[in-house]
Amino acid sequence: MTPRRFLPAAIAFTLALPAYGYPEFQQFVKKNSGRGTNCAMCHVHPDGPEGLKPGQIGSLSTEELNQLNRARAAFEPGQNAHNPILNAFGDSIINTLGKTKFLQIRLHPEELPEALGDTSDLDRDGIPDSKEYIAGTHPLDDSSGEPASLFLINLRRYAFHLVMMVVATGAGLYGLNAMLHWFDLLMSSGRDKDASEK
Amino acid sequence: MGSERMNAVGAFLRDRLPLSHFSYEEMVGKKLVPVHRMSWGYYFGGLVLFFFLVQLGTGVMLLFYYQPTVSDAHASVEYITKHVGGGALIRNLHAWASSCMIFCLFVHLLTTFAMKAFEKPREITWISGVILLMVTFGFGFTGYLLPWHQIAVNATKVGLQSIEEAGQYMPGALADFPRYVKELIQGEAAVGQATLSRFYALHVVILPLLTFATLGLHVLMVQLHGMSQGVDHPTGKTERFFPFFLLKDFSLWGLVFLAVITLALCLPFESLFAYPLFEPFDPLGSTPEGIKPEWYFFFLYYPLELLPFWVVMLAMNAGIVLLLAVPWIFRRSSRRTLSMIAAAAALYLVTMTLFGDAIYTFFKGVPG
Repeated sequence: MTPRRFLPAAIAFTLALPAYGYPEFQQFVKKNSGRGTNCAMCHVHPDGPEGLKPGQIGSLSTEELNQLNRARAAFEPGQNAHNPILNAFGDSIINTLGKTKFLQIRLHPEELPEALGDTSDLDRDGIPDSKEYIAGTHPLDDSSGEPASLFLINLRRYAFHLVMMVVATGAGLYGLNAMLHWFDLLMSSGRDKDASEK
Repeated sequence: MGSERMNAVGAFLRDRLPLSHFSYEEMVGKKLVPVHRMSWGYYFGGLVLFFFLVQLGTGVMLLFYYQPTVSDAHASVEYITKHVGGGALIRNLHAWASSCMIFCLFVHLLTTFAMKAFEKPREITWISGVILLMVTFGFGFTGYLLPWHQIAVNATKVGLQSIEEAGQYMPGALADFPRYVKELIQGEAAVGQATLSRFYALHVVILPLLTFATLGLHVLMVQLHGMSQGVDHPTGKTERFFPFFLLKDFSLWGLVFLAVITLALCLPFESLFAYPLFEPFDPLGSTPEGIKPEWYFFFLYYPLELLPFWVVMLAMNAGIVLLLAVPWIFRRSSRRTLSMIAAAAALYLVTMTLFGDAIYTFFKGVPG
């Protein structure tokens, strides 16, 4: 089948599919990381695409449904599609890989990080999205990340702030030391004076 | 007979409340701190006070933005974390300091016990300390619900449910009492707005007032009676409380502050949990895995999951009575015996906190 014939057939096939998510990825992440995850890693709603709640297919307007259909037809990478049931990470997967490759990888979810590469970090927490996927942390939440990596990245990021804090605390303690010694001298000289008067 | 009893009460109170010591010279100027191998134990009370002050400062800052309604609580916490300048740091500091406070409180309790610092005439100091421990657990339990995320609401439900379950072991009309207590705390049929309002009032008004009163009494007692001897064979060495011991205390506060602010700045407290637990609570949504109380309740939580409910409840109530009666029960025990009991209690707490999940998995075959 030539590409010109394949594309409409593929669109028709995709639109005819029920709106299931792809739980293979979630299952892999949970098994690999040992962390509890849910559909919110890639979808707008944590319970997935089906349903009537905000971010689920049943809640979409006509315009959003058209957007959904256009996004489902983004078979090639780099089409900058925005799917209203996916979050920014979900969109980024489809825009980086294209739907065709995504559907191939679905059978091997462990290959997704390599396919995504290490360049994208949507939440700017310093941990690439692909590594967050493996670790089962949220790629769109900068307070979610593998704790040791997050600690070391932030330690480098805030090194200057921490040095200033050490200096300020040291200076504060030095001043407090001098003040308490001065107060002690003041009180003991008062005691000596009282004793000599008696 | 009556006057003898009055005299006995008068003597009891004079020993416990030596108001003749109520002067700067007695409480600060001339106060001496024993120096020996257990001297490090004297610093933990100060650390608890330090973390309480951090909680107070950061808690007041959070109050400016937090909205105690089920519709806005989670969003306001998100707003604090993501949009308020320094908000994430303050919130993390509040979370880390609460855990550090409870850790130091456990250590303070155990070292005070091992050093026999509860013996006559320090019974009031001990009892006020036990009350502060309960109040601090109250802070932990009520504060956990306020962000109104999945783990907060579901863990609170489990905690409140365990109160109601106590009813099945009570006779006759008393069987309904735990349910009334639960409904009184909960405020309505299920955990909702009334619960949030009550927990908020408890967390930001009632418990802080109770803490001020009890802490005031506790610190006053410590200053009136001075530091306890701490060991069976004193070295005879002492140091002046003011300014030398106090300066060491403040220096330790400075070091601990740097450690906690480094943690708060570099390691978001939430990163230690799986992210679905921090999504807004959805009463119609599925409950995520891994709903658990905070780590400092693990010593109760895992036994509750493993043993019959009545066994744990009985042990818990007996434990509270035992803690309050420590100055009388252990008044003749040697410090060696007390140290062994404290070590066993510490071992239990550490094992349940670090390996509770593994123990649960071993017995039940599935993770806790």
